[in-house]
Amino acid sequence: MKEPTDENLMLKVANGDLDLLKILFERHHIHVYNFLYKMCGDKMLSEDLTQDVFYKVMKYRTSYNSGRFVAWLFTIARNSLNTHFSRVKEHHENIDVVGYKLMEEREEKNEDYSHLQKALDQLGASDKELLVLNRFQEIKYQELAEIVGSTPGAVKTKVSRALKKLRLIYFENI
Amino acid sequence: MNKDDIIALLPEYLDNALDDVMRKKVERHLKECASCSKALEELKTLFKAFEQEERCIPSDRVRTNFYEVLEREKHLASKVINFTPSVRKKWRGPLLKVAASIALLIGSFLAGKQFQKQKSGKEIAQLTDESIKITQTAMLSLMENQSASRRIQGVHFIDEITDPDEAIVRALANRMLHDDNTNVRLTAVEALGKFTTSEIVKNAFITALQTEKDPSIQISLIHTLVKIQEKKAIKPLQRLLQQEETQPFVKQQIESLLPHII
Repeated sequence: MKEPTDENLMLKVANGDLDLLKILFERHHIHVYNFLYKMCGDKMLSEDLTQDVFYKVMKYRTSYNSGRFVAWLFTIARNSLNTHFSRVKEHHENIDVVGYKLMEEREEKNEDYSHLQKALDQLGASDKELLVLNRFQEIKYQELAEIVGSTPGAVKTKVSRALKKLRLIYFENI
Repeated sequence: MNKDDIIALLPEYLDNALDDVMRKKVERHLKECASCSKALEELKTLFKAFEQEERCIPSDRVRTNFYEVLEREKHLASKVINFTPSVRKKWRGPLLKVAASIALLIGSFLAGKQFQKQKSGKEIAQLTDESIKITQTAMLSLMENQSASRRIQGVHFIDEITDPDEAIVRALANRMLHDDNTNVRLTAVEALGKFTTSEIVKNAFITALQTEKDPSIQISLIHTLVKIQEKKAIKPLQRLLQQEETQPFVKQQIESLLPHII
């Protein structure tokens, strides 16, 4: 028997079968957690936010518009992260600035990070976000465009440029 | 195709996401261009690094907490389904509707009643006002009539007017002082007797006392003036006593009543 798709499951959840949300949680929570961890570098915070993301999926289940579930899920994850940063910072700093500061702190504290992670941390937050989603989470351009609110063509170009930047940073310091 | 275009296509080339035409173009260029080949090698290494990057596993806390929240939500959702329609919607909805419609009915009835009252009140006031005006006009024209009985009828109209204006009072005083007919003058005296608080009426009485020759009207005037205790009437009355043509019984009346004016 074929496994039901994410979209099928989510539609049933929206109609009140809340138990099916457990299947979606098992399928995706590690991806969501890793996306958040790559973005903020804080394990505890990533766990809290992962929980928050699935809580929101549950709470706003009726507003699911039967689009691609992964795109919807990561849109929520991304918004949770942004909300967290703007709440933590008194002056609602841009996510780029916040990301950069976090990266600085991380580099001072911890030398355990991979060379790739360090290179990623030197990118702007929006470039980094695209690469994390595209390369780690293997999210296709179509869904990526949905998540960041752009077109697939524009996203493809952005990813390609971000990869070029990352490549230069990565091989500069090797 | 220039270098930048090729480099932009390299990620898709590695992902096998290019169509045949494009892939062949890229491959042809790569054979000739050393720097682009180097870029491709670097990108391969980079992609391998992405693949080899360690996946982190969150602690069980995330799962336990989420499952707990989910159970609570399930409980809440079932509660909503069971109780809402049976208890609240069945009774409160229609009950509220009925209450609202009753309130609306009473409200509009009262409003209509109030409105009607105001309107009819205004109308009645207007009508009364109009009818008084008509009476006054009729009275004034009747008092100018040639026939004495008509004039008397006109004077009698005063009974229908509670608060006559100055024109009416003056017209009545004119009848009392100058009408040729004794009966008209007498009726006018009686009519004016109701409005003795007016200065015009008092003065008219005193003037009439000096000019009136008819004994019955004289007596009527004397009675009225004594009744209202008009001090200005004392001198004309004394003069009447001294006049020879004054009827004896009129003099008698004056003598008996004069002391009553203090």
